[in-house]
Amino acid sequence: MRIIAAFSKLEPVKFVSHLDMQRLFQRAFRRAELPLSYSKGFNPHPLLSFATALSVGYTSESEYFDVMLDEYLSPEEFTRRVNAALPEGVRITSALDAGDFKGSLTPLMRSADYDAVLSFDAPVERERLEAAVSSLLDGELIVDKKTKGGIKSVDIRPMLLEASVADYSENHARLEIRGVLSAEGGLPPELLFGVLEERLGASFSRRVHRKKIEMDWSDLKL
Amino acid sequence: MNFSASTTAEERLERINALISRVEKPTRYMGGELNMRVKQGEGLFRFALCFPDTYEIGMSHLGSRIIYNVLNNREDTYAERCYAPWVDMEALLRESGEKLFSLETKRPLDEFHVIAFSLLYEMCYTNILTMLELSGIPLRSCERGEDAPLIVAGGPCVCNSEPIAEIVDVFFFGDGEELVNEFMDAYAEGRRRGAKKRELLLDLCAIPGVYVPAFYRAEYENGQFARLIKTEEAAPDCIERRIVRDLDRAEFTGDLIVPYMSIVHDRIALELFRGCTRGCRFCQAGFIYRPIRERRMSTLIEYADEQLKRTGHDEVSLFSLSSGDYSEIHEMVPAVLDRYTKNRISVSFPSLRIDSFLKDDLEKMQGVRKTGLTFAPEAGTQRMRDIINKGVNEDDLLRTVKDAFEAGWQGVKLYFMIGLPGETDEDVLGIAELARKVSREFYSMPKDKRGKGLRCTVSASTFVPKPFTPFQWEPQIDVDEVLRRQALLRQALKGIRGVEFNCHFSETSRLEACFARGDRRLAEVMIGAYRRGARFDSWDEHFKKEAWDESFAERGLSVDMFANRRISTDEPLAWQHMDALVTLDYLKKEHERAFEGIVTPDCREKCNGCFGQKCATHCGMHSARAEGSL
Repeated sequence: MRIIAAFSKLEPVKFVSHLDMQRLFQRAFRRAELPLSYSKGFNPHPLLSFATALSVGYTSESEYFDVMLDEYLSPEEFTRRVNAALPEGVRITSALDAGDFKGSLTPLMRSADYDAVLSFDAPVERERLEAAVSSLLDGELIVDKKTKGGIKSVDIRPMLLEASVADYSENHARLEIRGVLSAEGGLPPELLFGVLEERLGASFSRRVHRKKIEMDWSDLKL
Repeated sequence: MNFSASTTAEERLERINALISRVEKPTRYMGGELNMRVKQGEGLFRFALCFPDTYEIGMSHLGSRIIYNVLNNREDTYAERCYAPWVDMEALLRESGEKLFSLETKRPLDEFHVIAFSLLYEMCYTNILTMLELSGIPLRSCERGEDAPLIVAGGPCVCNSEPIAEIVDVFFFGDGEELVNEFMDAYAEGRRRGAKKRELLLDLCAIPGVYVPAFYRAEYENGQFARLIKTEEAAPDCIERRIVRDLDRAEFTGDLIVPYMSIVHDRIALELFRGCTRGCRFCQAGFIYRPIRERRMSTLIEYADEQLKRTGHDEVSLFSLSSGDYSEIHEMVPAVLDRYTKNRISVSFPSLRIDSFLKDDLEKMQGVRKTGLTFAPEAGTQRMRDIINKGVNEDDLLRTVKDAFEAGWQGVKLYFMIGLPGETDEDVLGIAELARKVSREFYSMPKDKRGKGLRCTVSASTFVPKPFTPFQWEPQIDVDEVLRRQALLRQALKGIRGVEFNCHFSETSRLEACFARGDRRLAEVMIGAYRRGARFDSWDEHFKKEAWDESFAERGLSVDMFANRRISTDEPLAWQHMDALVTLDYLKKEHERAFEGIVTPDCREKCNGCFGQKCATHCGMHSARAEGSL
């Protein structure tokens, strides 16, 4: 059977890389003694795949993976057993039986909502910040993006869907950002923050939290 | 920025987390892994278990994991971990003024009572200096006052710890399982009494296996080490190596911490036995872990079951210095393979000599995950193997690789050493001859019976003379000679089908030889090199030759005078106050036999008397033989 699960990745594990998260889950599954299905071939590995990766240092309450099991396990039982085996900071928040859905989760992704708490190195007035944030939505957003073929200039404006200042105090602000997230790519939040720092003329450290990944579940007959 | 001296713990934690977020591999410093020990409460002794290399190397060291468990099983002590910060973290710590911190509580190291270092190889010494300095702790023992943490160290390098004798307050010589508890008991008692550092050290030096170097002074004559003079009446003349007699019942690792990042040995490691009876004359481990002591098969399987459940690892490694010598090996290999491989857990037996009994198990071993086979003939000719007492002959080796090839293996690694005492060009060329025979063995098999293509890697490292081996008096060959013999071998290996040559001689092999046989004068050389930027000396990309050259020159010393000098067998040795149990007379006898080409049999066949007077009391092989269990 196939299980689709949503999980959170919080503060204690925010520096664990995507590759290390895969190993973390595999080990938790073995501690939970799940009847995992393995790939055939030279180097059998559990059939576990993630919808997408999360940047190192970000937290999230809305990540997804799917995993194949040799025997039926109710999603509740799955959640209970895996959560008992997971380290602090990672939790399965919901799980479902994927039925006969065969595809990958990645193409189902549409967009992602981020909460970013900025801490300014020097105070920034609210008006200046709001003006800079709303300017992100006007015109092009040309950034230098590292690709396999070297550094390329690209416009990330089409990837940015919404951006606003949700909370503000002299040294801190919370932004709400919605960006495209799909199989073809998505909004790179760090590059967006780079542009914002440039337009503000001020630098800031940030804590970024992914609140939600919008998925199109319509292909799944649930 | 660290403007105010009085900051709260949370603010500090916040600042540390900010630093962690800026390094290349944050999981090296993060802590919080599954099975990490958490302790709360006032009045705990704070013990920092430090490893002077990166997290991924330190976390792979079984000994540290055992000590972590032993200490944390005490109610009065909280042992936390700390690893050498990589250069990026070091720079951030220096720039921010934050002190080096433990993984468990992120407490600055200078707030610990005891700071312990594991000394696994000589080339990690400069990292000890980095770790002390980044903690705001003076480097030299004599510069540290009553408030400073006690700096202790254990591990194989304690055999000759003279090069860092002026840095470390207390050394632990030998097995640590029981010794650290005795140390902590005495330490706790001293603290309760309000003992001063000197008093405390006097208490500690009464514990067998504890070496307090400040109670001895070194003298030199004609530029050579002459003697060590006791400056404190109560200090022992000789420090006897500690051995855990019943390894089967000794404390082990407890629940293994499960790292987030991938570490070097990312698996459950179980020690089949400690010690080795083979007596290869170059091998320090073969002498300093004697006598051989086994864990029972049932104990090991119990550990494996438990750890698999607690960690979720998918690999178990059953290791020792020579696993083929384990008394239950023929029952053990098939039993663990049957037990675990069906659950997709791979089992490995590094350093296992495959014999005919185990031939059938070869296929199962590669069933789960394919790893290469490794053989260490060490030398290319029988003459040379007799000199070093490596009891392997060509027929055994060729038969074993043939079995492996028939079982479908096609990757073989062959380990050799060049520069061994008495080596001639013929011995060097013999390595290529042996590789040629291995290659022929593979390609003479019918195509349908073997793998597609042979991948035989020939590795040649450079001999390093080590204390407490019969070769401790022998020189290392000089750089030009190393390069010439490597070139000779490279040329001879050319054109052998499926064979690849892998050798690297770096300056670090020379420095390793120098520090292995060095004396107390090297401490200042090391500090000088550290000030000039020497760090992570065992990492080629970090090794700074000029820093070392300048520092040696400054002190009027050289690497050569320690590494390339033949020491006469009646000269005083800088490590002669350490009693490793194997006697000096025995080592001299073995040294002579080497050059006569006489092999010394495995001591399970016949006691060779290596502990001298102490054979009866310290070896236990006598009683085991009497009971018929050997």
